[in-house]
Amino acid sequence: MHDAHIASAFDRDLESIQALIMKMGGLVETAISDGAKALEMRDTELAGTVRKNDKLIDALEEQVATEVARVIAMRSPTAGDLRTVLSVLKISGNLERVGDYAKNMAKRTTVLSEMQPVNSTGASIRRMTKLVNVMMKDALDAYIQRDADLAADVRARDTEVDQMYNALFREFLTHMLEDPRNITPCMHLHFIAKNIERMGDHVTSIAEQVIYLVHGEVPEDERDKADSTSYVSTAG
Amino acid sequence: MLDDQKSMERVMADEDTKITAKGVDVFYGDTHAIKSVDVNIQNRAVTAFIGPSGCGKSTFLRCINRMNDTIDICRVTGDIHLDGQDIYARDVDPVQLRARVGMVFQKPNPFPKSIYDNVSYGPKIHGLAKNKAELDEIVEKSLRRAAIWDEVKDRLDAPGTGLSGGQQQRLCIGRAIATAPEVLLMDEPCSALDPIATAQVEELIDELRQDFTVVIVTHSMQQAARVSQKTAFFHLGNLVEYGETDKIFTNPEDPRTESYITGRIG
Repeated sequence: MHDAHIASAFDRDLESIQALIMKMGGLVETAISDGAKALEMRDTELAGTVRKNDKLIDALEEQVATEVARVIAMRSPTAGDLRTVLSVLKISGNLERVGDYAKNMAKRTTVLSEMQPVNSTGASIRRMTKLVNVMMKDALDAYIQRDADLAADVRARDTEVDQMYNALFREFLTHMLEDPRNITPCMHLHFIAKNIERMGDHVTSIAEQVIYLVHGEVPEDERDKADSTSYVSTAG
Repeated sequence: MLDDQKSMERVMADEDTKITAKGVDVFYGDTHAIKSVDVNIQNRAVTAFIGPSGCGKSTFLRCINRMNDTIDICRVTGDIHLDGQDIYARDVDPVQLRARVGMVFQKPNPFPKSIYDNVSYGPKIHGLAKNKAELDEIVEKSLRRAAIWDEVKDRLDAPGTGLSGGQQQRLCIGRAIATAPEVLLMDEPCSALDPIATAQVEELIDELRQDFTVVIVTHSMQQAARVSQKTAFFHLGNLVEYGETDKIFTNPEDPRTESYITGRIG
C-alpha cells in the first residue's frame, strides 16, 4: 500500500491525532510511575502533582474526540484510515480511565501517608505497577509500530497482573484478620491494587485495538482471566 | 427457529447468480483493456464497479449488454452468461439482449421527443403492448418505478429534454425499465447531477434491486458504499478484489484496494 494520501492534509490530520495519543500515553505512563513512587515514598507533594496532571489527560481526551469527529465528517475515512480513527477514539478513552485510576491512587496516598505502613504490601504494589507500566509502554509502542504480535504479547501478560492482584487480595485479608488496626490502610491499599488491576484491563483493551487496527478484526479467542477474588471467602 | 430458517432461505435465494463472467479479455486494437476477468454478479442486488480512470470498469460493464459490439476495433473473448445462457453465442440477437439488459448512461440522454414517447418507444418496438391502453399502463408503471411519475404526469406531452438534469436521468431510468429488463447497467449515472438529484437516484437504485439486478460504475466511492451490496475494484484491466461492500470499505484484502479507497492512488 502507498503511505501517503493524495490529499496531504488528510495525512496531517491523522498524524496530529496520533501525536495527541502519544502525548496522552506519555502523561499516563508518568502518572502511573509517579503515583506508585508517591505511594511508596509517602510523597504527598508528588501525589498532588499526579492529581493535578490528570486534568491535562482529560483535556487531551476531549481534544482527540473533537479531532476524530472532524476527520470523520470532513474526510469520510475508509478501511485502514477508518480503523485508525476508531481505534484512536477507543484508546484515548482507555488512557483517560487509566489516568483516573492513577489519580485515585494519588488521593489515597495522601491518607495512607499518615498511617503505619502495612508490612511488605508496598513492594508488591510497586511490582504490580511496574508490570502494568511496561505493558502500557509496549502497547503504545505496538500501536505506533502497528505491531500486532507485540500487542498479542501484551494482552497475554494481563494474566500476571490478575495473579498479582489475587495474591495481594489474600494478603490484605490476612492482615485485616490479624489486626483490626490494619483495616483502614488495607481497604485503601486494596482499592489501589484493584485499580492497578483495572489499568491492566485497559492496557489489554488498547492492545486489542492495535490488533484490530492491523488485522481488521478483534481477537476472537477468550483471554485467560486469572482474577478469582470474586469467589474468595473467609468463612469456614 | 422458523424465522431463522426463513431468513436463511432468503439469504440463499439472494445469493444466486444472475451473470457469470469467466476469463473475459477485451482488446481495443492492440490495447489489452480487460485481463482475464472472472466474476459472478448476484441476482437482485446492486454491484458497484470502482477503480481509477482507464481501469476498465466501464469497458467491462459494456461487455454485459454487448455495447462493445458497436466499436469496430474492440474484441471480446471469454464467456459471459446471463442466467446460464452465453450472451455472445451466434444465435443471440444483441438488440433482444439489450432489452433484457438495459443501460443508463453518464449524461442523461432523453430522445428529443415527449416524455411519453421516450418511455413508450422501447415497449413499442419490442411489441410489449397490444394497444394504447396497455402502452399507457407501461408508461405510468415505468415512470412510477423511476420515482418521477408525480413530477411529470401532468405534462407527458412536454419534451423530455425540458426536464431538469436529475429528472432527465430518472426519465432515462424509466425508459430503461419500460422494456422489462432483468439487468440494469448504469455507467456513472449521477456524475452530471447535483447532490439532491444524486440522492434521489441513489434511493431509486436501492428500490430497483427488489426487481432488477443492478450493476453500477461509479467514480464516487462513497456512492458505491451507499448503494451497493457487492463491490468490484478494477485496476489496470484486472479485477483486483470483489466482495461484500462493507468488507471492501472496512477491511479490504488487497493493498491496492486499500490504497485506492483511502485516496492514496488515483
